[in-house]
Amino acid sequence: MVFIFGVNFNEHKLVKKALESFYALGPQKSVRILAKYCIHPRAKVGTLAPKTVTALTAELSTMTIEGDARRIVQENIQRLRDMGTYRGRRHAMGLPVRGQRTRNQTESAKRLNRVDRRG
Amino acid sequence: MQPTRCLLKRSVWKGPHIVPLPIVRPEPGQKVAPIRTQARSATILPNFVGLKFQVHNGKVYHDVTITEEMVGHKLGEFSPTRKTFVWGRK
Repeated sequence: MVFIFGVNFNEHKLVKKALESFYALGPQKSVRILAKYCIHPRAKVGTLAPKTVTALTAELSTMTIEGDARRIVQENIQRLRDMGTYRGRRHAMGLPVRGQRTRNQTESAKRLNRVDRRG
Repeated sequence: MQPTRCLLKRSVWKGPHIVPLPIVRPEPGQKVAPIRTQARSATILPNFVGLKFQVHNGKVYHDVTITEEMVGHKLGEFSPTRKTFVWGRK
């Protein structure tokens, strides 16, 4: 088990996938981080040197990820809500925001669209 | 890098969608009636801040007071057009 940014990862997990498990880190950013620290794209977490692990943790702590990134999204939704826009109302109702149909297939909207958005 | 969503929504050479509205600057101490309009697609410009609008939603006019953070949105966003279905409501 390897600790990166306070999270325990299995040694057999890919480093890229481990990075992508953080909120606000996607394929693009994780590939860039791998390139910056000269890690092979298919390297496993167990193969990382302890020095690289600490460097990765230091890099992640300078980025806006997890709580900070979530807060930015929530603030944007809250701003729409406070202004009284249609989009803010749709978020509060848990319905699709951009004119999608609501007869069927609104599961993503039901799960995600809320004023204190989690995902 | 990707341009921001703000830039992507409308091409720059067109500029914001400006609709000629009968805007009267109130002199101090005078009250001006709200601007009644059906132009829901009009972009809210910085000089609208503090004005009162009555925006049509197809049936009635909703009162909207423009604040600073509304700049860049459209007037129609603040006047809902749909009524949620509730059983037993007449």
